[in-house]
Amino acid sequence: MTGDLEARKLGDTDQESTVATFGAIALNWLEQEGANQMVEHALDHGVNHFDVAPQYGDAELKLGPKLRQHREEIFLGCKTQKREYDGARHKLERSLDRLGIDTIDLYQVHGLEYEEELDTITGEGGALEAFREAKVEGQIDHIGLTSHGDPDLIMDAIDRIDDLETLMFPLNPVVMAKNDAEYDYEAVLERANEEGLGTLIIKAFARGPWPPEAELPVEDRPYANWYEPVDTPERMRERFDFVASQDVTSVVTPGDPKLVSMGFDAASRYEPMDEAAQRSLIEELRHEDSPVPEQLHH
Amino acid sequence: MSVPQTVETALADRPVEGATCLEAGAGVGNTTRGLLEQGAGHVYAVTDNAEHARDLRASLDSHEASRTSILEADLRSTPLQSNAVDLITAHGLCNVVPPSALGQISAELARIAAPGAHLVVNDYEPLPDDAAIRNLFAVENAVSELADGTPALTFYPSDMLRRVFEGHGLTFDRKQVLLDPVPWTVSHVEAHADLARKAATDLPQRLSDPLATELDQLVEEIGSESTGAMYSLAFRMSER
Repeated sequence: MTGDLEARKLGDTDQESTVATFGAIALNWLEQEGANQMVEHALDHGVNHFDVAPQYGDAELKLGPKLRQHREEIFLGCKTQKREYDGARHKLERSLDRLGIDTIDLYQVHGLEYEEELDTITGEGGALEAFREAKVEGQIDHIGLTSHGDPDLIMDAIDRIDDLETLMFPLNPVVMAKNDAEYDYEAVLERANEEGLGTLIIKAFARGPWPPEAELPVEDRPYANWYEPVDTPERMRERFDFVASQDVTSVVTPGDPKLVSMGFDAASRYEPMDEAAQRSLIEELRHEDSPVPEQLHH
Repeated sequence: MSVPQTVETALADRPVEGATCLEAGAGVGNTTRGLLEQGAGHVYAVTDNAEHARDLRASLDSHEASRTSILEADLRSTPLQSNAVDLITAHGLCNVVPPSALGQISAELARIAAPGAHLVVNDYEPLPDDAAIRNLFAVENAVSELADGTPALTFYPSDMLRRVFEGHGLTFDRKQVLLDPVPWTVSHVEAHADLARKAATDLPQRLSDPLATELDQLVEEIGSESTGAMYSLAFRMSER
């Protein structure tokens, strides 16, 4: 129990979010009692920003009881994959109902992947109309967007959504080791900061894709994450320190409940990582990812 | 292949754009690519390793190739003219230069540097006493000493290399820490062991067999290790 996590301003909003955000997808794999304990565990660590979505099995339902008990201590992000007005409006009502609350602090466009989706979302009868309406009616306080898609598309979204307040996207030393534009989430971060957006980082703990199914069937994977995570306290701390040392607001804890506590612990012990150590981690992963013959040097 | 951040960082504060450059000890071409990416006018990539020269030639696209001359030459005596280049890089070069050749190579680089030219020397500080990978490098050096009388690797302290290049009329500009710690990954450990195994095949069997066994054991024991530091020194040649 530490309760003294660093808090950072969530972009230009009035919210100050802890440097760790609890990824409430983890509750999906727990029974209600365990879910309650995990929420208390997050709060004991001082985590004040939670993130959930209707896609995460019954995570919303399991979060509900403790969320209602501690509503004032939790800044809650939720999201919808619906791209049109009606669907988004309906999903929002459903999330509010399942969570058992009146207001979601941050409502996000979930998992933007294609340019056409952005057209739909921002167009007439698009999801953003529902978001804006809900904001006026007090059902949501802030508007955000999440994506692990093309950095250019995310930057397009920043341009096209004037009232966007937060972005959730991937950042870790694996993607930072790659020079290609398709992994240039650093450019997204820079842009988000220029625009005063809060930045919530996913996949900070990703080691890489799981081995092909022929080698490791899905049901034999040891973690629920859709990527293979780092899973030792040292590695988790290293990743947390690395990502939190970028100019980000908060790092989302891993999705698998077995790793969440290590994520909180890493956040509690957070120490800024200097640039030589950051490069060291990037260099290490560059070699892990693409071994080149006879590389004696760095 | 991506340009390592070590290279990008060391070049970031140097005037690469439009410069005629020399990459001393081109290896697999990481720095050549870094120089080309940052707009070098022309790069002379010098290596004494025919295989490296061939691989590097094959890896460049036509636009890059038109701005690159790959020279197979001994760095103690290159075919380049005096005062020929604006920027010289020696990325991970000095640690494979034995002390007996360091004087000649540093003098040769100073000869090729034009008045006002920049020199960037990136290398490793000596490893800490408790670094496990020292044992691997010790065997690699033992094999090399037995085979041809020179060490395979020498980790020169940054202060010492600074004095060496200052002795050739270069003015020290800055030192940066590129990596701290240095991640010696499984692939680095294996690459070093492979090189030592290859060199050991030239030794009598009574020596090569136990050395090879020792290398196998060390690879297994070390796995990977993050230790030591990599630095970048930058110098300017006087205007003369």
